[in-house]
Amino acid sequence: MAVASNVLVGMAEIHVLKGSGGFSCLGLGSCIGLCMMDPTAQVAGMAHVMLPEAFADRAGEKPGKFADTAVPELLALLEKAGARPERLVCAIAGGAQVFKFGAEGTNRLEIGRRNAEAVLTHLKSRGYTPRGQEVGGSLGRTMTLVIETGIITVRTVTQGEKTLCNLRA
Amino acid sequence: MQPTRLTPKLSPTLTIEDIVSRTADLPTLPAAALAVMRESESATGSAQSVGKYLAQDGALAARVLRLANSSYYGLSRSVLDVSEAVVVLGMRNVRNLAMVASTYPWMNKPLKGYALAPNEMWRHSFGVAVAASLTAEKSRKVSADEAFVAGLLHDLGKTAISVWLENKLPAMLRIAEKEGLPFDAVERKVLGYDHMEVGAHMAESWNLPQTLVDVMRYHHRPSELTPTNAMVDCVHIGDYLAGSMGFGLGGDGLGYQFDENALSRVGLGVDDLDSLADAFMVSYDQHERLFEETK
Repeated sequence: MAVASNVLVGMAEIHVLKGSGGFSCLGLGSCIGLCMMDPTAQVAGMAHVMLPEAFADRAGEKPGKFADTAVPELLALLEKAGARPERLVCAIAGGAQVFKFGAEGTNRLEIGRRNAEAVLTHLKSRGYTPRGQEVGGSLGRTMTLVIETGIITVRTVTQGEKTLCNLRA
Repeated sequence: MQPTRLTPKLSPTLTIEDIVSRTADLPTLPAAALAVMRESESATGSAQSVGKYLAQDGALAARVLRLANSSYYGLSRSVLDVSEAVVVLGMRNVRNLAMVASTYPWMNKPLKGYALAPNEMWRHSFGVAVAASLTAEKSRKVSADEAFVAGLLHDLGKTAISVWLENKLPAMLRIAEKEGLPFDAVERKVLGYDHMEVGAHMAESWNLPQTLVDVMRYHHRPSELTPTNAMVDCVHIGDYLAGSMGFGLGGDGLGYQFDENALSRVGLGVDDLDSLADAFMVSYDQHERLFEETK
């Protein structure tokens, strides 16, 4: 019997699977793990986003690296694999950052917060609201999606693993 | 004589000297590596003298040669002895290889007190070495090669303090959350000192250069060093970058403050951080190849 694969999604990578298996983003610091899934088509994907926006002078970089290019690229790959945009559900985790910077909360130093906001903005502009999200704080996270169950878990070294949401529910 | 291994428990009377003298398996740097470091910084240091010191430690010399012959450097022919490695790669490159070869054996061990799994302390230290080096290169304030070594060693104190914090981490994190404190402040509150101070104490006992001692002591609070030091600033920024990218985050995670003044002191702005983070990932991937074949 074939063992369903669990794909490790490295920084700036996007992976899409159809049928069975799953994904993990290990050691998310300020990066964002973005999962999207069409439960009917059994198609799911994950992106490991490093930074909010692509550098103007560097077209052609890995699209998974930046929120503004990762979201459309993940959607395109999912559609290509048979997903229908209107059936897609999503979840995000990550976006941790160093201890408080100051009161204003708009500092460009806050890569984690900016990453989370950028991913949410690009999802929202396409009509998507995450079914589950766990962002912020100072802890590193590992995010995992199992396609068969649709369950997304988030693990931290001190708080253990917990279910974030079910993309099939 | 081996130091007595006590049952680790937090005690208000446990001094830094106690931590250092009573911790079993305390890391050490080989005498040859320390000699190479001093020689490479010395005005009279030469390829011959560095090679001579390195050759005194056969095991270390062999590890350095494996690194020198890795595909990372892409040499057209094999380097057969350390003197030749110094000539081909340069004194500072070989010094850095000696430091990498010396620290990897103990940095890849788990640090339970910080909830760092095997290899995670190494990933963090090596990541900060790469990021501090890039920051130094961009700032042009200090040598990128020296920033690499400073980044590699910056969290030395954690290796000594970790065993004493085992089983205490959850309580310390609760204090951090309840009182809104960065993790190093919780260490000071609970122990009376932090991993920076312990690292500085170890660095002093090894007779490391004062700049490295300062890096260990001030890397989370660089503005408290008088006068400030660009090397400490570069490691502070490198620590922020490597941590933000998720490299070797333990239970303390990103629970430290970032001092924006460190950026301005080395001539950088907040807008440089995204491009530095990007460059860091590219550079780390390249550096990692150095080790894949030599572990």
